[in-house]
Amino acid sequence: MFLAFKEMARAKVRFALLIAAIALLVFLILFQQSLQNGLITGFIGAIREQSAPVLVYSVDGQRVVQGSAITPEMEAQVRTAPGVREVGPIGQGTFTGKPSGNADGETFDTTIIGYELGPDGNGIGAPTTVVEGRLPNADNEAVVSDADVQLGYGIGDSVTLLPGAKSITIVGVAQDAQLNVSPTLFVSYETYLDAIKSVNPDAGTPLPNVLGVVPADGYTAEQTVTSINDQSLDLDALTKDDAAAQTPGVSQVQQSFNIIFLLYGLVVPCVTGLFFLIVTFQKANSLTLLRAIGAPAGRLVSSLLIQVIVIVGAGLLIGTLLYYPVSQQSLGGITLRFETSAVVFWSVLLLSLGVLSSLVAARRVLSIDPIEATTGQGVGS
Amino acid sequence: MNSAPSATTVTTALEMSNVRKVYTMGDGSDVVALDHATLTLGSDEMVALVGPSGSGKTTLCSIAGGILSATEGRIVVGDEDISGHSAKELTKFRQDKVGFVFQSVNLVPFLNARENLLVVDELGRRTGAPAKARADQLLEELGLADRAKNLPSQLSGGQRQRVAIGRALMNDPALVLFDEPTSALDTKLGEQVMELIRNEMKSRGTAAIVVTHDERITHYCDRSVHIIDGRLEA
Repeated sequence: MFLAFKEMARAKVRFALLIAAIALLVFLILFQQSLQNGLITGFIGAIREQSAPVLVYSVDGQRVVQGSAITPEMEAQVRTAPGVREVGPIGQGTFTGKPSGNADGETFDTTIIGYELGPDGNGIGAPTTVVEGRLPNADNEAVVSDADVQLGYGIGDSVTLLPGAKSITIVGVAQDAQLNVSPTLFVSYETYLDAIKSVNPDAGTPLPNVLGVVPADGYTAEQTVTSINDQSLDLDALTKDDAAAQTPGVSQVQQSFNIIFLLYGLVVPCVTGLFFLIVTFQKANSLTLLRAIGAPAGRLVSSLLIQVIVIVGAGLLIGTLLYYPVSQQSLGGITLRFETSAVVFWSVLLLSLGVLSSLVAARRVLSIDPIEATTGQGVGS
Repeated sequence: MNSAPSATTVTTALEMSNVRKVYTMGDGSDVVALDHATLTLGSDEMVALVGPSGSGKTTLCSIAGGILSATEGRIVVGDEDISGHSAKELTKFRQDKVGFVFQSVNLVPFLNARENLLVVDELGRRTGAPAKARADQLLEELGLADRAKNLPSQLSGGQRQRVAIGRALMNDPALVLFDEPTSALDTKLGEQVMELIRNEMKSRGTAAIVVTHDERITHYCDRSVHIIDGRLEA
């Protein structure tokens, strides 16, 4: 402790620069972690946060809700599959919406998801977590995703679909329920059909895009998925988590971010390891002298490890403090969030990697022969 | 502070009997650095070890100080036989029983003068307040009280050497080993440092070996021992 802290106190700038570098990297890692989670939630949050445990797509839809279409024959096959208790149609369309709560009168691409409301609006496909207001219990009412409130989609506001004048009133706010990173409204299935007709009066009645399925008692979601897929090669049933994860683009986004995280995960220990290796070389003579006058090698290694833990720990703390205010913001419709689990994960990982990377320097310390003090040589000689 | 001799119960500070040090070279040949060296130091005796470069002075000193292990022979420092000590035991021995003043590297640059003395306690017993009092007294005796908070880079060569002497005395050793203590100093400063070394050793009744190839400083010691090609000559 004595040596570790005395050295840091006498070389404040050097150690402060390392702390700053680590803090910056930690900030970038945590910020991008929030960005990744916010982006993916914006992409497929509505799929994860709806109530149907199983979603059935048409194979042709390639696991894109809007690209899928369920024919009556397919729906009949699903309804008769073993393990199916309830089935509900879900439709999705993208419209130009003008929310009344937007002071600038802006319009936004707005996703509308229609489902059969059932009693109290809690039908198959309803958003699972309403954080404000209530679920729709009548036509022309909607629950909006929480990320969209700031755009003018507040409770009591109405959204006009353009062209046309179809108006939907917002009665509730759901958590993390966006789709395609756009304002998302959950409405009754009839309202969804009306919305399509309002912008295209000549359109016929569209087919449901997907079916929401509730498994029968005694069946797990996975068993029901297997049972439905066995009915027809045209059906593509997935649990809702799989449906979310296998939406085209999601895994690519995750892979891209994972590569970035891997690079950061390598940079931090490299920076830390190289720094302490250089410092060890620079103070080789001092370490040799200390060994010669009776310092156990373990004590010098402990001193090194204390420095690593203090430096990386300070970097983590400062990086997290920088990250906190940024994590409370939204970026272009993507809601960022303070990811406690990410902070804990990266803190443990970077601290462990930092200590591991300093083992090269520790090995150098252990290799010091005190006899070198009599020749004026050090470990770097 | 107790400045009385530490080895009052023993009459000798160092006994080396038939000590050999043989290095095996890369080609398999052996080089004898120390050849059946026998040397005894009284508990307050100061001996100059004189010899040309490569004669084995530093090897002898290193073995006496537990930095190097002998190939064969017996070495007793104070009341401790270190002949068969492991590396770990030798480290502990160096902490407690000997003091070193090396030729070139003597101080830790990121510790001030007082901390360079205190580091000895930090590495060993960690007595805290008594060590601080001892460090302050040593610095006072060495005329460095007003330099206690100076880093080595802020001290002159002579002052740095005095700090090193203070550090060597911090653990109240039975034996202090000085390896060419004046080689980096000019003649006048070298004489002042040798005067200081003699006074400090004699006032404490501590034994010392002063390695040198400069015959002019041997008169500060009680006797001189010459070493040539690893062999001691009285």
